[in-house]
Amino acid sequence: MNNQSSIICRCEEVSSKKLHQVANEQRCSARELKLRTRAGMGYCGGRTCRIAINKIATHYQATQTTNLPLKYQAPIRPVSFEQVGTGGELK
Amino acid sequence: MTTHYDVLIIGAGPAGLSAAIEMKSLAPHLNIGIIDEYLLAGGRLLGQLYEESKGQWWNGFRKSEELRQQIQQLNIDLFLEVSVYDLIIKDESVTFFTERGRMTSKYALIATGASEVPTPIEGWTLPGVMSVGAAQVMTNVHRVKPGKQGVIIGVNMLSSAIAMELALAEVNVKAMALPLYSIENEQHAIPKVIFKQVMAAAHMAPSLLAKLGSKILFTDHLKDFAIQFYPKKGIKMWGIPIYMRSAIKRIEGEGKVERVIMVDITTDGKEIPSTERAIPADFVCLSGGLTPLAELVSLAGVPFYAIEALGGHVPLHNEQMETPIPQIFVAGNVTGIEGAKVAMAQGRVAAQSILLRFNQSSKKQLQQRIAQVHEERRHAAIQFHPLLEQGREELYEKWKLEQSQ
Repeated sequence: MNNQSSIICRCEEVSSKKLHQVANEQRCSARELKLRTRAGMGYCGGRTCRIAINKIATHYQATQTTNLPLKYQAPIRPVSFEQVGTGGELK
Repeated sequence: MTTHYDVLIIGAGPAGLSAAIEMKSLAPHLNIGIIDEYLLAGGRLLGQLYEESKGQWWNGFRKSEELRQQIQQLNIDLFLEVSVYDLIIKDESVTFFTERGRMTSKYALIATGASEVPTPIEGWTLPGVMSVGAAQVMTNVHRVKPGKQGVIIGVNMLSSAIAMELALAEVNVKAMALPLYSIENEQHAIPKVIFKQVMAAAHMAPSLLAKLGSKILFTDHLKDFAIQFYPKKGIKMWGIPIYMRSAIKRIEGEGKVERVIMVDITTDGKEIPSTERAIPADFVCLSGGLTPLAELVSLAGVPFYAIEALGGHVPLHNEQMETPIPQIFVAGNVTGIEGAKVAMAQGRVAAQSILLRFNQSSKKQLQQRIAQVHEERRHAAIQFHPLLEQGREELYEKWKLEQSQ
């Protein structure tokens, strides 16, 4: 983003600046970038920011080849503890 | 409480609904359920309204009503406003974890469609910024104007289709332009690249971007397909100026969208200094096109391949709509971005494949349904990517390779 103070991950309030800074320092995978910044780990599960996080991580990586995108994990929709408890346990 | 079905379909869009109708019509004893998280069945059909060819209109909402009626007549269970948040495959059956408890079935068709690709840009978290699909749903499904005057950021097949629909609904769209280049939205921001896509679309008349393409073709200066001759003031389509030599740099406002800032750009997408100007707006639509919504297929353990012509990462499947997981079938946009008619035809193919498992169909019937997918693809009014057919072939090759190992 051009003004890097803008937010990329709204749930965890992670700015573009923070993501670029960490990706540039660490040259890490999208998954590691996620774990280091918490971007994509909030309430929505990264439904809006996933693609941007992948983009930023890939941009700073030395090799751009076998880069797997962030994987999906259950629950893929926000769900209450009550529902998990009564409707069916998570695996 | 667990509810048992022979077949569960996730997604009540064109693919899911058509599959259910095909299965229940041919094998009435089968117990079929459909789950969708939206409040109305129809999926992306609900918002679609465009001219397919001269005088021939595609009314997706009406089509969805037809399909809903058939679902009702056939006594197929339809669960709306129910989200699936997990699944497991065990003992030759699939268990879906939903907001209404567990539901199991012998076979499952995952027809979850596509989601929009956001184009992050400064100011995109302001109230009044939405995806272009949200503006379509507000306008065509809920019949509410998204605002008094808006700007669409992102020039692609989806955003031009919806721009035309907004124009039809007399929603005031003041500009459609690219986002200013950034790492996050690079594939949507370079005029040279976008221009090529538009020109490729020109050969797929009579669809939407194609109209822009052919307009360019008949503009004298642009006959050599050169982006540097694209007029600075844009080319008007449906009364909306479409800019490719200017981009939106940021969205501004106090607590809500009040204006966007536009700048001139080079053909590589670089900002030309001192060209900033404001366009007043109270809503902004972002669009980076569509990508398969594959979360559930991924949880099921189906491998994925990145194929740009199909819209991103797509689950491995064959022309019979089977995946390497014997209980899981796929159809519609989750397999690659195409129009609703292709999705419906794919739904019927998946239905035949599942019917074969119950000995309720024949290879011949399945082959006929596959041929219809090819037919629909050839006559499609909107082709989302010029290399779509090659993309499909590439994936089927991967399937053959995996099967032979």
